Amino acid sequence: MRDGAYDFEGLPLADVDPGSSVLLAGSPHSGARTLALRMLAGATDEGTIVVTTNRRAGRLAGDCERAGIEMEADRTAIIDCVGGEDPDLPARVMPVSGPSDLTGIGMRFSDVHRSFQRAGVEGVRTGICSLSTLLSFGELQPVSRFVHTLVGRIDSVDGLGVFLVDPSMHDDRTISTLSQFCTGRIDVREAEGGAELRARGLPDQSREWAAFDPTLE
Amino acid sequence: MILCVDPDSTALAATRDALADAGYEVVTAGTIADARDVLDDPDGPTLDALVTEYELPGGTGLDVVRAVREHAPDAACVLFTSTPVESIDTAAFGDVVADYLTKDEADAREALCDVLEQTLAFRSQTAYPLPDDEDARLDALDRYAGDPAALDASLDRLTEIATALFDLDAAAIGLIDAHEQRFLSCHGVSMGTIDREDTVCTYAMLDDDVTVIEDVGGDARFETNEGVRAAGIAFYASASLVTPDGQTIGTFCVYDDEPRSFDARERELLALLADEAMEQLELRRRLDGDGGEDDA
Repeated sequence: MRDGAYDFEGLPLADVDPGSSVLLAGSPHSGARTLALRMLAGATDEGTIVVTTNRRAGRLAGDCERAGIEMEADRTAIIDCVGGEDPDLPARVMPVSGPSDLTGIGMRFSDVHRSFQRAGVEGVRTGICSLSTLLSFGELQPVSRFVHTLVGRIDSVDGLGVFLVDPSMHDDRTISTLSQFCTGRIDVREAEGGAELRARGLPDQSREWAAFDPTLE
Repeated sequence: MILCVDPDSTALAATRDALADAGYEVVTAGTIADARDVLDDPDGPTLDALVTEYELPGGTGLDVVRAVREHAPDAACVLFTSTPVESIDTAAFGDVVADYLTKDEADAREALCDVLEQTLAFRSQTAYPLPDDEDARLDALDRYAGDPAALDASLDRLTEIATALFDLDAAAIGLIDAHEQRFLSCHGVSMGTIDREDTVCTYAMLDDDVTVIEDVGGDARFETNEGVRAAGIAFYASASLVTPDGQTIGTFCVYDDEPRSFDARERELLALLADEAMEQLELRRRLDGDGGEDDA
């Protein structure tokens, strides 16, 4: 269990309470995916679990490192719905049969989270990159149950959840339904001056659009 | 009630005892067939959760999870198993969703009770979002769930008026309880009790305002919903039944078999009809109560 809030170094976001899950809505070119990974980069005593639905684990691991996530196999896991051989990654890689296997993703989350907890990891940040792939391989109802279940597990273990979604791929009601499972929502847009984010539904956040750096180091 | 499935009778007894000590009503089964008998018993208690081993004679725990999702879709399902997670073949069960907990650790049953307590308290395996104050809402609903049949005639008049007023096929007044929607009145359509995850009203009740879905078939939430299609619902509008203390206990809804629009005045009138139906329920509750005193 965890005492303190989750902070986001270098991002225009206030700390978020343990147990929260955020729907992160932005198109692929908006910088939303980078923002998701940077939100998953925490202190060295924290753990990270990333579900990758459309990029190979090797490429994701590289992106994670460039986003500031320190990869170590005893506190970093990749739940891999894509497949392919990516040897010697500095993370525990857990293959799933594919992005339609919501049950397999959820069970691996529970299992690896428990093993991190036993290893003394305090606070786990979990990212789903992205819900849009899960929705293109499955129907909204099972994806809803999957999200609700995962949000509930993240809440019960004082974790942080970041659920990436591309709103241009889905109708408003789908996005609204998915956001109802989450504590809050962060929208990302491309403005003239660059990438901007705005948080809603999370306590103590600015209500204004704020610029952030959408590039990986 | 929690259904506990394990072919190993020693382990089954240990799990049963741990759950019973935690205050749960437990029914046990050693095989898939026994588990199905429990699910199929029409007089059995409501299934709140399933705890099952993975390896079962003639199948797996995921077969039981699938059966539970058909019988009691909101139930919390947990694989509580000696099989490592990487050996569990979920490929054909990707849409059932269940939690996983390894059975062979010293504190496994304690961990199971923790998982169940959390999942049941927050009902977090439902496929639909819940209102923020679902427990208070269900408490409020209890106060109106007395003898709804007594209201048939007055509510039937309202649904008949609604269909004529809006020139629509059908209207219905329904209450939404923990797991199901049941109808107090239907005009132009006949509907029995429906699982909450399969009704449009489950989503509509979360809206503050009147809900209008001009083309239900084009809405991702319902495009594969066979019940909605079978009932010929192509247009849907509803206003919530809101108790005097602000809890939404159901909906007054109208349907048509073709997509259509619904203007601002029509929305106002539908809200008035919902208020009238709620007033009838409130008056009935007071009559059935302690002689007309407001006991709210």
